[in-house]
Amino acid sequence: MSTDTDTHTGTGKVAAAAAPDLASLEAGQQLPTMHKFPDEAQLFLYSAASHNPHRIHYDREYARFEGHDDIIVHGPLQGAWLTQFVTDWAGPAARLLGVTWQNRASGLPGEELVFSGTVTSVDSETGIVELEIAEHTSDGRLLMPATARVRLPTA
Amino acid sequence: MSESLIPAETLERVGEVLSGPITTVIDRREAQRYAYAVGDENPIYFDEVAAQEAGYRTLVAPPTYVTHAVVQPRTAADLRTDGLYREGTRIRLRVDRVMFGGEEWDFLEPVCIGDEITATVRLAALDQKEGRKGSFVRQVRETTFVNQFGDEVARSRMIGIAR
Repeated sequence: MSTDTDTHTGTGKVAAAAAPDLASLEAGQQLPTMHKFPDEAQLFLYSAASHNPHRIHYDREYARFEGHDDIIVHGPLQGAWLTQFVTDWAGPAARLLGVTWQNRASGLPGEELVFSGTVTSVDSETGIVELEIAEHTSDGRLLMPATARVRLPTA
Repeated sequence: MSESLIPAETLERVGEVLSGPITTVIDRREAQRYAYAVGDENPIYFDEVAAQEAGYRTLVAPPTYVTHAVVQPRTAADLRTDGLYREGTRIRLRVDRVMFGGEEWDFLEPVCIGDEITATVRLAALDQKEGRKGSFVRQVRETTFVNQFGDEVARSRMIGIAR
């Protein structure tokens, strides 16, 4: 399957018309990948908007003192991107029911982050679709394995 | 068998309320500031008509925003050297450091702008496990979020790995 929606940069400006069709959805199908490009300003904005004063997200010297390679991308920001990855795909009429993620490694500013996902189950009666998701750096380092549950419109 | 990393008196605290209940009103500007900071400009967060067409009462907040909305204002004098705020209740374990292991979220009802949300954090679990790098404690802090109608709208479990 290859269409012009195979990748996107995740602005969240989703069109209802592009939402997946429950009737033709099956396990094994892949979601269009989403790419994010965090920089220092992105980390600053997220620290501010989430009221997070943790030094490892803005103080390089301190982050290295704690053993990180640089200031690091917030876990909850990557979590918010995971939810966006799913809601962008599922469309506005769908309902996100749950997500889980594991922090395996840290993303750094300047790295390209890639979100990919696969449908693992589809219940055509309830509309509930389960997904397995992963966030990697563009050179293939796994940052977050994740899962999501979403209910698509049944009508 | 290695020594227990969880003192008996700490284990007795499982189920205890660690913070809250804290009540806050979901503010449109703050929720939208958060959505912009994520780079998620979904119309259901910004456009009243789009939100209603999607079946919501009014504008909604991004799914995990609710956990940031309930952060209480604190004085900078409460910051530790790592930049985090000192916690009121410490969970004493025989470990050197606690790392964020991940999160699990259930979204039960939409959180809309103007909703009054009450959050309560509990120590949900403490389990000692054996890993490749030795013993560690899996610590779960569960937050429940309830709205002004008394409906539980979300539940988050933050997993800490202490070793």
